Amino acid sequence: MAGIENAEIEAAETQAAGAGVGAGAERPRRRAPRFLLAIPAWFLFVFFFAVPVLFIFYYSFGYKPDIFRTIATDHLSFDRYGDSFSDTFRDVFSGTLQVSLTGTLLCLLIGFPFAYWLAVKVPARWRGLLLGLTIVPFWTNFLVRTLGWLILLQPNGPLSGVLQDLHLIGSPLDILDTREAVQLGVVYNYLPLMIFPLFVALDRLDPALREASKDLGANRWRTFRQVTLPLASPGVIAGLLLVFIPLTGDYITALVLGGAKGNMVGALVASQFNTAQNWALGSAMAVILILMILGTVAIFAAIGLVGRALIQRRRRVEIAVEPA
Amino acid sequence: MSAVAARRDRARRDPVNLLLGAWGVAVFVFLFLPIVMIVIFSFNEGRALVVWKEFGLRPYVDALDNPTIRNAIFTSLRAALGAAVIATVCGTLAGIALARRPGRWTIGFLALVFLVLVTPEIVDAISLLIWYVRIGGPFGPDNTILNYGLVRLWVAHSIFATAVVTLIVRARLAGLDESLEEASADLYATPASTFRKITLPLMMPAVLAGALLAFSLSLDNTIISSFVSTANASPWPVYVFSAVRAVLRPEIAAMSTLVLLLTLFALGLVALVLRRGGASGEEAAAMLVGVEAAPGAPGK
Amino acid sequence: MAEDFDGVKILAPRATVQRMTRRHFMAGSAMAIFSGSVLLAACGEDTQTGGGSESPSAGGEVEDQLNFFHWAEYDDPAVFKDFTDKYGAATKIDVYASNEEAIAKLTASAGTSGYDMVIPTGVFIPQMVSLDLLEEIDLDRIPNFKNVDEIYRDQPWDPGNKHSVPKDWGSTGWIYDKTKVSSTIETWNDFIAVAQGEASGKTSVLDTPGNLAGIYFWANGINWATTDQAELDAAEEFTVNELAPHIKAYDSYPGIALTEGKYALSHAWNGDARQGLLSTDEPDRYVWGLGAPVTELWMDNWCIVKGAEHPNAAHAWIDYICDPKVSLTDLAYHGYNTGIIGVQEEAEAAGLEFLDMVFFSDEQVATMDPGAVNEAQQRLVDIWNKAKAASA
Repeated sequence: MAGIENAEIEAAETQAAGAGVGAGAERPRRRAPRFLLAIPAWFLFVFFFAVPVLFIFYYSFGYKPDIFRTIATDHLSFDRYGDSFSDTFRDVFSGTLQVSLTGTLLCLLIGFPFAYWLAVKVPARWRGLLLGLTIVPFWTNFLVRTLGWLILLQPNGPLSGVLQDLHLIGSPLDILDTREAVQLGVVYNYLPLMIFPLFVALDRLDPALREASKDLGANRWRTFRQVTLPLASPGVIAGLLLVFIPLTGDYITALVLGGAKGNMVGALVASQFNTAQNWALGSAMAVILILMILGTVAIFAAIGLVGRALIQRRRRVEIAVEPA
Repeated sequence: MSAVAARRDRARRDPVNLLLGAWGVAVFVFLFLPIVMIVIFSFNEGRALVVWKEFGLRPYVDALDNPTIRNAIFTSLRAALGAAVIATVCGTLAGIALARRPGRWTIGFLALVFLVLVTPEIVDAISLLIWYVRIGGPFGPDNTILNYGLVRLWVAHSIFATAVVTLIVRARLAGLDESLEEASADLYATPASTFRKITLPLMMPAVLAGALLAFSLSLDNTIISSFVSTANASPWPVYVFSAVRAVLRPEIAAMSTLVLLLTLFALGLVALVLRRGGASGEEAAAMLVGVEAAPGAPGK
Repeated sequence: MAEDFDGVKILAPRATVQRMTRRHFMAGSAMAIFSGSVLLAACGEDTQTGGGSESPSAGGEVEDQLNFFHWAEYDDPAVFKDFTDKYGAATKIDVYASNEEAIAKLTASAGTSGYDMVIPTGVFIPQMVSLDLLEEIDLDRIPNFKNVDEIYRDQPWDPGNKHSVPKDWGSTGWIYDKTKVSSTIETWNDFIAVAQGEASGKTSVLDTPGNLAGIYFWANGINWATTDQAELDAAEEFTVNELAPHIKAYDSYPGIALTEGKYALSHAWNGDARQGLLSTDEPDRYVWGLGAPVTELWMDNWCIVKGAEHPNAAHAWIDYICDPKVSLTDLAYHGYNTGIIGVQEEAEAAGLEFLDMVFFSDEQVATMDPGAVNEAQQRLVDIWNKAKAASA
């Protein structure tokens, strides 16, 4: 029976296709080569991204010949990688990873309830306006937003004054130029990038699904755990990626708010090119940064996939096949 | 009181809802606090930005009077315009190709797009600096037609933006039913005509969103700009960044406030246009951040 | 044997007579050139002319733009404005915090940076010349060059002033907040003790390799131009492990920030510290100290970048800034001795503040050591990088 149905469907499709082809057969249908339209973008990416970055890879195996010149590649070796993993630099790599992982997690913890509230709880007529308001900081210049925090967190600044008046702190606020200030700054700067994909995912969730879950007797926590969260997970993943990847490479927030304590890997790379004129070492550190980001994403993706497989295995419901 | 109204009242007083509401307000305060600080301190007539002296309009006068600041803003705007054009054109074409003409090349191209999105800005910055100097030509002083610094910024800013626009357009087109285009072909429209009358209008919101996003990404670009910019084309973020490392003055806050007002005005205008075009308030807002490009976000 | 330098007397053996320079010398050969030019300058003719300026000789029409690659807060904005009004060239200033940074940017851009003027410290000029980063300056187009005091011309790192014209010279020391630091700081060892003690976590140091390592060398009586491995190792060990953890920021312009409460103790250049004192309402709360027992002597210079697109404007600027009146106005702003003939008397007559931080006595100058840019330079940059990583 299924076979006959399939055959009928196939016949119908062929007819339709034939009609289309037949109608078009009178005009020469010149279909452009498949990738033609993508060539400008391809050129841009290859010539101004892939090739230059490959040069960086190449330079990372070189060395600095003398104080006057920046790079020599006649002797290639892994030495610069060895230098990068020396004690002091190693701490910067791990510190950066700490800040970015913590920051990403904080963004998720802060952003998810907010996105949920905006997508699910706020009445529809206010939603557009509130979302628009959320966009405004996103459209303000990144550096300027960070400067706003610089003003706010000054020892003689507004926040310090308020906190002292409230007797929450005893002496002027001394959070600037510390790791905490950097953490605060990066969470602030990347929070919108977490909120937006979460909002979209939660917004597209059909409320009927949640209602159905409640009708079937699940309490709100169970509904959240087994209906809302899984359906919103693409948004969660998008948000995590959108935040973690740029955050790890960003060093500007750290520079502005963290002073000497705000040394992220990006700043190390920048200083090798900006002041130390050691392109080989800078390139090696840049490659390590890329690998750090890709590696972390890969590890978490693997964990996620394994975890999901385990959960699904546990949840699988066996349906016995009744003999006909 | 009707059952529906009663349930609504209960929902309003529900502790979880109240908590969520409070959290929402708290996050809004958190998001706007630094911006409010910048606006307030833009009226600071002191010498240093971060120390309040007295209220006044002098920073605005100084900002508008300062040729370096004016140049920086104009350079930023010109760079953003050029980058947006390049990114929108390249990205739209690529998005169309990916959605409508996929093939064996697709996976390689998408891998490249992914790499572009994943690479940290500092790597782009150092690689482009070395590359620009190497190839010279339009990126060096030999370029007598255009400001070569501006050309550097256009290309540098458009790379990431092109990748983003590609994904936005691709997502939008993939979500569209191809049957509309096929129907058009069945009705004897040429491929070009189909594109112009059917495909283009349908994907226009995505193209516009991509263009807007490319423009704003370029305006915000600090790291790459600070490496590749030249003396004659150095954009606003580079000026602010070097001021951070030297001396910060209130003019920076003043100019930033002006730019913010302009941005709000532009955003409002765009939202209005989108609303008129039929999108709901939410869709307009969502488009303004190009959320359709978010990898993994479900297509329409 | 006393040498007479136009009013500044230094009692020292001929071999160690120091000229007023900034930071470092080239070791070895530089010393030879140095001794030679000492003879030249010491026996130089009397050039006490001072007085008015002439218009620059026409080398070509002044272009409409002049791009500076500059230190921060180093010239009066009013001076830039006046220059634009007078010559029609709009000015643009981009900032760096150390000579290494300036050289790195110019090298990396290889002539495409777009800058016309750069202001390097003297001892870095030979490196820049060998890297072909500087244009030659045509002194015929700078009639006001005659206003530059003879002592400062013809330095060992640029004999004949082919590539540079002196801008100003200064020294390095510290400035601290009396309400936060109860001890007095008289020497570099005191500075270190306070940085590790009372002001730990609230200290800033200059963001340059030479000055950073200098703290250790000067505190331990070592010549800071040393290339001895053991001494450099000791400097690294100290700076990275014992000093860096107490540093709040690497800041080349801490003067104003300190008086705004950001730091308790700052390693600073004299003019920048003075700007801090000028900007606060409570100058008596802060104390400036010249580095002791030894400190730096640096000299900054106007140089024209290779491939500059506005060379006429550049020459016009150098001529303009060497005018005594303009020089005095500029000095009042940045607080460094500009080396123009008679500027000290003019400054005192004008009643400018904190002149003890601008003009130094002979005894003070005797403690100043120009240093050198030599084989140890790379090691110093490494130490500086590692210290920054260790502070994080």
